[in-house]
Amino acid sequence: MTPILQAEGLSRHFGAVRAAEEVSLTVRAGEVVGLLGPNGAGKTTILRMIAGILAPDAGRVLIDGIDIAAEPLAAKEKIGFHSGDTQLYQRLNAREALEYFGRLYGVEERRLKRRIDELIAQLEMESFAGRPCGTLSSGQKQRANIARAFLHEPDLLILDEPTNALDVVSGQFIVEAIRREKAEGRAVLFSTHIMGEAEYLCDRIALLHEGKLVDQGTLAELLERSGCANLTDAFLKAIGVRRNGESA
Amino acid sequence: MRPATVWIIFRKELLEALRDRRTIFMMIGLPILLYPLLMIGMSRLQEGQEAAQTARASRVAVWGELPAELEARLLKPGKMELLGWKGAPQGIRDGLKASRLDAPPTPPFDYDADDRPAKPPKLPDADWARAAQKAVLEREADAVVILWPRFEERMKGGDKAVASILYDSVRAESRKARDRVSDQLRLYRMDLQRERERQRGLPAGFALGVEIQSNNVASEQRKSGLLVGMLLPYMLILFSAMSGFYAAIDMTAGEKERGTMQTLLCAPVEALEIIGGKFLAVWSIAMIATVVNLLSLAMTFTRLKLLPGMEVSAPPSSYLVAFLMLIPISLMVNAVFLAVGAFAKDFKDGQNFLTPILMSLLAPLTVTMTPGIELNGYLAFVPVVNIALLIKGVFLGEWAADMLFLVLLSSLCYASIALVFAAHVFERNPVLLGGKEALSSVFDFSRRPGSRPTPGVSLLVFAAVLVLAFYGSLSLARFGLPVMLAVTQYGFFLAPVVLVIYLKGYDFTDTLNLRGLSWRGAAASVLIGVSAWTVAGGLLVRLLPPPESLQKAMERLLMLDDKPAPLWEAWLLVAITPALCEESLFRGLIMSGFRRLGKWPAILATGLLFGLAHASIYRLLPTLALGVVFGYTVWKTRSIVAGMICHALNNGLMATLARSKDLIEQMGLSGQKYVPWAIIAGGAVVLAAGLWLLKREGEDQAPTTA
Repeated sequence: MTPILQAEGLSRHFGAVRAAEEVSLTVRAGEVVGLLGPNGAGKTTILRMIAGILAPDAGRVLIDGIDIAAEPLAAKEKIGFHSGDTQLYQRLNAREALEYFGRLYGVEERRLKRRIDELIAQLEMESFAGRPCGTLSSGQKQRANIARAFLHEPDLLILDEPTNALDVVSGQFIVEAIRREKAEGRAVLFSTHIMGEAEYLCDRIALLHEGKLVDQGTLAELLERSGCANLTDAFLKAIGVRRNGESA
Repeated sequence: MRPATVWIIFRKELLEALRDRRTIFMMIGLPILLYPLLMIGMSRLQEGQEAAQTARASRVAVWGELPAELEARLLKPGKMELLGWKGAPQGIRDGLKASRLDAPPTPPFDYDADDRPAKPPKLPDADWARAAQKAVLEREADAVVILWPRFEERMKGGDKAVASILYDSVRAESRKARDRVSDQLRLYRMDLQRERERQRGLPAGFALGVEIQSNNVASEQRKSGLLVGMLLPYMLILFSAMSGFYAAIDMTAGEKERGTMQTLLCAPVEALEIIGGKFLAVWSIAMIATVVNLLSLAMTFTRLKLLPGMEVSAPPSSYLVAFLMLIPISLMVNAVFLAVGAFAKDFKDGQNFLTPILMSLLAPLTVTMTPGIELNGYLAFVPVVNIALLIKGVFLGEWAADMLFLVLLSSLCYASIALVFAAHVFERNPVLLGGKEALSSVFDFSRRPGSRPTPGVSLLVFAAVLVLAFYGSLSLARFGLPVMLAVTQYGFFLAPVVLVIYLKGYDFTDTLNLRGLSWRGAAASVLIGVSAWTVAGGLLVRLLPPPESLQKAMERLLMLDDKPAPLWEAWLLVAITPALCEESLFRGLIMSGFRRLGKWPAILATGLLFGLAHASIYRLLPTLALGVVFGYTVWKTRSIVAGMICHALNNGLMATLARSKDLIEQMGLSGQKYVPWAIIAGGAVVLAAGLWLLKREGEDQAPTTA
């Protein structure tokens, strides 16, 4: 089966800073892959390159076999991207914002309305869907934003720290939503630094450090290779840091 | 670029902007409130000031012996309080009383047409002058009148008596006092002259010699038009730009600040669609603001007397033309705002970036307030200045359709350059994401071998070449028509084409359609070349007949000056040279850029630019039609040679006809204002035959998408 996402040898430098170095990843339909890394490891840069909003210095990204550099529009139609930097318009209400993006993704009007109603119900947005996005709480904004990424039923969901800065209840909403999308056969690539989330959601985990993938595999494979009892220890070992914070 | 996507983005941007109170205030609130408040306030203030000045008696110190008769005259209107020697130092008093002080010499005669000193005389370097200055500046008196020794005696003895008025031109009360004293002194002088003439038995007016009567022929509408023409462009352009200013920052830097730009960039939309939608929204806001500004100003001006006795009554057509002129300037300014706004990180940054641009509009706008500067050929291509002067001309009733066309054309050129720049900026995602390499990547015009020209490149080249050729040909006019034609064609049309193709790394053969021509293509080109003028020149000229001046200019061009040059020279410079140079530019580089839009959009867009390049509203339709036919010929034959044959034959035929009276008579064109219908019909048949041959000329070129 062709992977939905096939990223090969992605590299990106910002001046002297190497944000990504020869990163290769694949995600298949119905699979959740977690990108784990500390702050500044290059997670956002890699996800931006995969989403087609940042051109890599080297490497290529295929979305369902489509080269995103050659056919960006066709590839982007298959992606739902969410990150802390993808906000919604403050002076539009959540429903209007969803309608706007639905149209940009070419969702047919009747289907769009049905899909928005469906997402509003699934993510329990009824109480705030008519309010301007600028007046929503962080959790409400995050839900509306997740709805925007899910709206056009993309083959690949790219979620950059989707539960970041959310309370437990709001975070749980997002986690369950990701599980539902996986159950519907969508490929999900998401970055996080919350180990529990990765353990609960991911079929495979890629460990990232200083722009390089230091290991990737299923949770069991990572634990076996590292000889550690839990993901946190396996991750720290992989990036060369001991439990007390010292370098290994 | 998909128009439907641009429309979606435009609607959303407009909706969001209209929910922004700041934008609404700048767009509608400010113009509705500002002009009436400003004008009524200024008018009331001026009226109030004038009323107060008129009601108040002027306080005038008189140094010297005041004759009783003059005193009575000064006091008669009841608006003067005479303060005697107030402020005069003892030394000055004594000097005047004892006739030790002399009147200053009469300044050299240097008066303007209204009998006012052309240059205000300098304050004499004397104690009396300094003392009077002190008295006026310290407000002991509004003005000081010095009656020089033996004033009355000299007057009565038939000699010249001298009076000096010292006043402060900055202070309104002082100016009023000067006016009142001066008026009475002039009346007094007039009566005195009459009395002297009567006493000596001289005819009335003997002393005056010549009476000069000067009458202003300007109607009230014209006088008020001058005022409106000075103010209106300034206010309209500035306020229309200001409303786009906030919207442009909000849609670029504001989006970055709020984190919504990235959301948009990950959607399946092209950068050009984003800029297209945003630009349309900003421009719509600016145009709404322009209409509101124009209406508000028109209402305010017509309801208000700006100056006593002066009512503004410009016809509605003036406001309509002013609106028309504001369209291209608004296109240009808002495109620059969007392009520059995209570099800003946040709203504050955006304000810092765009404020200098807004301010830079102010300097050229002051031309409308500078006397003596009128719209001419040179200024018609100076951005902002041309529009400001044309709007002023419209309100003075001084504008011609050709000049309007030229200003619109040049302004659209600058607007195109600004729009292409904005699109160029938006195509670079790192700029929109706020990357550090932003600025350098925008100005990366490096050579990319194998790439093809885009519609943006076509527009940019057209705009730049037109401005270059316009100023170039104006400066070359003194070298004579042949030199001007040759340098303009080869230097300003052909050379930039070759340079752009080389610098951008385009393929010369593909871009310029440098291919051979089949016998059918060649035959079609000849048929079209000899017949197209009959339809273009014969039929379309009837829709908008050119004025005689243009006909004469065309004749001069075809003759290569006032005296006819040899026919071979005319064919070389008027037919073959434009065929080589203009075809390389239009049917070569420019049409290549438009190729990706499809056959007819490319041919029509190229034809339109070709028509516009002839810089005359009267020549627009005929040259547009010729451009379309030439474009179709090149498209079908895939060879620039076809366009060159058509172009050379068309122009060469015109040059030959212009020289040959016999031929003109044989064709029945002698004394005809228009080409006779019989010739048009014959030409149409030949043209149709040429087009029929072309239709059989292989498959259409596949439009490129790369």
